[in-house]
Amino acid sequence: MKRSTQIGLAAAGVVLFATVWSFSGEDDEDSLVYNSLAECRAGGQLSASQCEQRFNEATANHLRDARKFSSTSACETEYGAGSCQSATWNGAQVVIPALAGIMLARSLAQGGGAAQPLLPPTRDACPPGSPAQECQQARSSSSSSGGGSRGGSYSRAYSTSSGQALVARSGGSSRGVSTTSVASRGGFGSTSHSFSSSSSS
Amino acid sequence: MRRVVLEARADWQAQVERLGFAFHTIDGATYWDERTAYAFTLDEIERDIEAPTEAIEQLCFAFIEKAIDDDAVLTRLAIPEAQWAFIRESWQRGERNLYGRLDLAYDGRGPAKLLEYNADTPTALFESSVVQWDWLEQAMANGRLPAGCDQFNSLHERLIAAFAGLRTPSPYRLHLACVQESAEDRGTVDYLLDCAKQAGLDARFTFIEEIGLLTDGRFCDGSNVPIEALFKLYPWEWLFRERYASALAGSRCQFIEPPWKALLSNKGLLACLWEMEPGHPNLLPAFFEGDPRCESLSPRRVRKPLYSREGANITLLERGKVLDSDDGPYGAEGFILQDAATNLFQSDGNYAVIGSWLVASQACGLCIREDATPITKNTSRFLPHYIEP
Repeated sequence: MKRSTQIGLAAAGVVLFATVWSFSGEDDEDSLVYNSLAECRAGGQLSASQCEQRFNEATANHLRDARKFSSTSACETEYGAGSCQSATWNGAQVVIPALAGIMLARSLAQGGGAAQPLLPPTRDACPPGSPAQECQQARSSSSSSGGGSRGGSYSRAYSTSSGQALVARSGGSSRGVSTTSVASRGGFGSTSHSFSSSSSS
Repeated sequence: MRRVVLEARADWQAQVERLGFAFHTIDGATYWDERTAYAFTLDEIERDIEAPTEAIEQLCFAFIEKAIDDDAVLTRLAIPEAQWAFIRESWQRGERNLYGRLDLAYDGRGPAKLLEYNADTPTALFESSVVQWDWLEQAMANGRLPAGCDQFNSLHERLIAAFAGLRTPSPYRLHLACVQESAEDRGTVDYLLDCAKQAGLDARFTFIEEIGLLTDGRFCDGSNVPIEALFKLYPWEWLFRERYASALAGSRCQFIEPPWKALLSNKGLLACLWEMEPGHPNLLPAFFEGDPRCESLSPRRVRKPLYSREGANITLLERGKVLDSDDGPYGAEGFILQDAATNLFQSDGNYAVIGSWLVASQACGLCIREDATPITKNTSRFLPHYIEP
């Protein structure tokens, strides 16, 4: 046989356009991370019903994908005090990290694309007492509070369902936590933009 | 080799979209076109496509062996001198390659002829690997094609295996990058990311424009995570000329495709291969423009810039008269002239070009693109194929 014996729907059902989008560049003005439904509505980028739909979608995905704990203390050890909630999953009582916000794909024209649930930062990313601004913001924001201020220095830490660290900075761009300092950014890509043609063949 | 008219699935858009295939229609025109398919015999595939593809790959390796230390050839290929050491080291270290696509002229008769080698940033991968595979399964299931058909397409499993073996120790952390604002490139990278994950890798996406430079010389992604291995759907000739070009050599990053692929993803390769193996059955005569030997070419010839993608700036000439051309931004680095292929498959005013895929230098798949003109452009339609039982 000259063809693959199976493609496995892991690939065929590729979560192609529902995977994490990274944000950068010109579109950063758009607030693409919302901590609450109220904040989404206040943002004015999506209609009230789109906001509701995105939060429902993210909540459902969150319940499905979030790590399940058997006790609040086990969950809080991982995600910090006050960051967990109880939930019912497959008929069982479990504890999961509370939904801290949602992150939307760049294509706002299509209503924001798939919404990705954002979780509180893990202990690895934000150890208790961490002085980092993004950690303090994350700790002080109750997961259900709305209308968070988006001042110039706003930054807040989250984690993804898979446990990766993310920091949303003012303007909604998301950046992971890192310890090495960045000397510069954006040294690649200029030819593509000057040609405005495809970089592939 | 036959061109077979079939009825498209009534819900073909939904069927391909369920696979995550987002660009089946480009600018309102059908790109994925299953109203027609190409049928091959197993002999045609193995004798005329698979074997020549691997032979050409071996020829390319022999060329690199010769060219890698030859300043004159590197100059001829317009590769910046500042990158020569970087390229040589990647070859000497034996850095592995992931994939490439040879574009071949073939009409079912006689040997396939190499039109060009998309060695660095080929696309049309997902539709080749997954969409046409699924199309065949369904065509056999619903009786449009007889059971027992096959397809030259083990791309998916080869890609997964190749990812696992690209670097040691494995699994490793791999970043995959493409430019913003290109749905097609993003689709290709998302598919490769999925394959890499299935290979057990810690695979992460980043946009090319997001890449940063750390104070220790390494590149980093948009989240400031250092990049150790980078799949970049972005051509070497551009990376070599951008602001971070001088940081490449010191980045301690393993690039995929490796830097030595810059010698192959260059139309100058076609002239170099012909110089090395004149008369090779799978090559078309080709010379650098300005070479007096161009006079020996057929009056019907093709002028190609050293760097060009998706047919841009390619001109088909007959006795100096332009028959077909595609505008574009390329050509500053020079041109080659190549005999026009006389064995392009042609039917009902359509020209077909065979894309023959290599994964880790093994021939393992095929795709067909059709256009109303002899130059395959980025508007060409993709047609599925099958091997008759």
